Amino acid sequence: MNINFLAGTLILALTGAFLPVINRIFRISGVLGAIISSVGYILAGFLIMLSGNGRKLLSSFFVTDSVTQLIGMLILVASWMTMLVVYWITQRDKFINELVAALLISTAGALLLISSTNFVSLIIAMELMTMPTYLMVLFSFDEKSMEAGVKYFFNGALAIGTMLFGVSLLYAITGSFNFEILAKELFRDPLVALAAIFILAGFGFKLTAFPFHFWGPDVYDGTCPGVAALLTGISKSAAFIALMRVVYEALPAISSNLTFIFALLAAITMTVGNLLALAQKRVSRILAYSSVAHAGYTLIAFAALAVPVSVTGILYHSVAYVFMKTAAFLCFAVFLYLWGARTMDDYKGLGKREPLLAALFLIFLLSLAGVPPMAGFISKVFVFTSAVNAGMTWLALVGLLNSAFSVAYYIWIAKQMYLEEPTIEKPLNNPSDKNFILIPLAVMAVFLIVLGIWVNPVVDASAAFISKIGF
Amino acid sequence: MVLLSMILLPILAAPFAWLGEKVNKDIPKYLSLTVGFFLALCTAYLIAKYPGSGFAFEELYKIYPPFDFNLHLAVDGISLTLLAITAFLAITVTLSSWNIEKPGAYFFLVLAFLGPMVGVFASLNLLWFFIFWEFTLVPMFFHIGIWGAENRIYAAMKFFIYTHLASVFLLLGIIVLFLNAHTFDFMNLLGIKLDPGIAKLIWILMFIGFAVKMPVVPFHTWLPDAHVQAPSPISVFLAGLLLKMGAYGLLRWEIFMLPQVSKFFAPLMAFIAVLTIFYAGFRALAEDHIKRMVAYSSINHMGFVLLGLSAITAAGISAALYEMVGHALIISILFMIAGYIHHKTHTWYISELGGLMKKIPGLMTMFVIGVLAAVGLPGTAGFVGELTVMVAAFDYYGWIMVIVPLASALGAGFFMWMLQRAIFGPLREAFKELKTLKELPAVENIPLAMYIAAFILVGIVPSMVFNLYNPVVNAFAQLFK
Repeated sequence: MNINFLAGTLILALTGAFLPVINRIFRISGVLGAIISSVGYILAGFLIMLSGNGRKLLSSFFVTDSVTQLIGMLILVASWMTMLVVYWITQRDKFINELVAALLISTAGALLLISSTNFVSLIIAMELMTMPTYLMVLFSFDEKSMEAGVKYFFNGALAIGTMLFGVSLLYAITGSFNFEILAKELFRDPLVALAAIFILAGFGFKLTAFPFHFWGPDVYDGTCPGVAALLTGISKSAAFIALMRVVYEALPAISSNLTFIFALLAAITMTVGNLLALAQKRVSRILAYSSVAHAGYTLIAFAALAVPVSVTGILYHSVAYVFMKTAAFLCFAVFLYLWGARTMDDYKGLGKREPLLAALFLIFLLSLAGVPPMAGFISKVFVFTSAVNAGMTWLALVGLLNSAFSVAYYIWIAKQMYLEEPTIEKPLNNPSDKNFILIPLAVMAVFLIVLGIWVNPVVDASAAFISKIGF
Repeated sequence: MVLLSMILLPILAAPFAWLGEKVNKDIPKYLSLTVGFFLALCTAYLIAKYPGSGFAFEELYKIYPPFDFNLHLAVDGISLTLLAITAFLAITVTLSSWNIEKPGAYFFLVLAFLGPMVGVFASLNLLWFFIFWEFTLVPMFFHIGIWGAENRIYAAMKFFIYTHLASVFLLLGIIVLFLNAHTFDFMNLLGIKLDPGIAKLIWILMFIGFAVKMPVVPFHTWLPDAHVQAPSPISVFLAGLLLKMGAYGLLRWEIFMLPQVSKFFAPLMAFIAVLTIFYAGFRALAEDHIKRMVAYSSINHMGFVLLGLSAITAAGISAALYEMVGHALIISILFMIAGYIHHKTHTWYISELGGLMKKIPGLMTMFVIGVLAAVGLPGTAGFVGELTVMVAAFDYYGWIMVIVPLASALGAGFFMWMLQRAIFGPLREAFKELKTLKELPAVENIPLAMYIAAFILVGIVPSMVFNLYNPVVNAFAQLFK
């Protein structure tokens, strides 16, 4: 691991660790807390940018390659914007600094997770990413968030337990946790396949893939939406990248066995996610089930792991996903804060009340639906290209039809916002600095549009990864 | 730079229309008109400088060459014809929408629609073609949904979901094509050798996407709803440009690119075309809703376009292109006036109309001229289009095409019957005192006069259109041998 990358991660985690302490001593205001955290983010981002050169350490646990740098940078930006929005919508809460501290530490965990090349570091990083979110889910302290918190905790524990069992099986066979050694030592064997299934099941919980998706919508709906943005967008994207490393770096021996499992899971996950999303009345649950569906689209690329372009598909979809899903939940959070809008009926006419915010929300929704020129479109092109290239045209067709039907509920939200007359008369909160909140969301929209046209950074990173694992 | 600026300028100008409304309500429409004239000037410049055959004004913006994700713009005579329609309709639609409500958002969407529309006709990269193609849906959705008639939300949702579903098949076709040809560029795709089975799969997948947009029976059901609910100027965009995208895509990306496969499927296309012509004709005959009737007549005319394309010969293609020009000009005026009739009489139904000629002779005279052109009166674009299509189809398919002139008679039938019931005859009692029933203001008459002038000019001097693209079509026709 590059020393600069490690330093960046540490700065982020330490900023998170000391923010509540500073708050206890000096009683800082919300704005000051946001500024301190932003400094942490900027420093971390600067160091990650420098991580191309410098001393290496812990190289059997972590790696800093093109994928780490790119996704790390993008996760950092998404997390920063999430932090700003969360600060803004909960600034009057006395535990806001604790919440943001947890967010920073969780992001540091995500940065470590995407660079892990060893099952020990992978599990530690995943726990570092997940532990703070157990607290964050409980943040609104009402009955629903308690339920969500308990559900999330037990599912998370179960996930890590299954994953550890799978890893221990692999250790029993090879005596190593290192991906490189595993890739060399492993062979086609029922026991290896069993271990792989346990590991995949553990990841399945994190990705809300069928049949482990039940907790997702309940938790995303029960907790406060800023936290849901972190869980669906950033944590899931990092988990995609970690799974990519496991599948391509550690388990190439049984990759042909995995193809069918992934294909089946992908087809069921996206269909279930889209069908259930169509049936929802609450916008947060629609977004939650759409995140299940998007896990399915990524699994399509995993199913095509025999061809190099699948790496591009996974990477691009993670990149697009981290921005569009996080930002969509943040838009929901802001609408909830300003207008108390939860259900589809509440969303009627919000486009007239908040034209710019609704326009941004529309961009994210269209990107989720896969309408060009947003990144969500080109990522879907890569995903489906990989499926067709791997000879699974049926899977690509299932995915494309799913994507076409999913447009129905995304455009339904747009319809409620723009084409209907408002139902809510008075705003819940009407802060004076209302336009400030548009900036972080606009930054994410710009990233989405730029990455939707300028494909080079992501494709170059994936090309480097492809040549590294040697297709 | 000319083509890129034609795409980017409308898109970049769009936010200013929105912002400008806050300063002065007149800014958006003048901005839109300026952009329309800019497009017209650019197109005139391109036509004047066009060397006569082949592609010209090539612009290549490399984005990611290994994946062939490059913005490759160039135009030939065919694209130029369609760009000319785009610019012409940009001006007329802006004039027709002069007194629209919420002008800021409206012209924002008009401009956001025009940029990608130029891109569709000028892109030689299939992926970029698809990006532009798909993006045109978004402004159209809001146009129908916000400014439409009473059932607008249903129509907008149906339009978006239906056409997006079709685009998915087009996208799958594009992906399969890329994986077999390893390029998105038209220049490299031209004359590519593919496995016959794969080529047929690609052709079918892409054809579904184009056929829904055109639209042809049985994929047409989105169109009557969208047309009826859309505000009249947007119906003009739908009929004049959006439907042309389908026909253009079919021509450029299927017939030119996969000529042998297209030849294989030509009888299928011809069958669908004849089916469309007759089905839409009979539906129009039975229709009491005046705008829906015009919508079905539009489908009927697109059937002629497909029939021309299905005769995979230079004559057929050039006839289809001419019919596209004629259709864009003629159907626009019919949609506009159908909308005005509803606006003035508050009814859509032919059975409730009657004797309008006595009250508003000016507008109704223009309507009659438009209807006569649609029927195929000699001296108008409708006549030349239908005649050349029929001759080409007859030439290619033989005697079986003798049924098509019958459809032309059907068209004359439903239009004339409509005129007799709605426009002529005694004036209805209810209309005698109606205050709203009066002639249009001048600014709304200008576009109508422009349509009439254009289709008569093109009808009398068809060579001005044919000469633009005939060398190109003839060059491509070598591929069909």
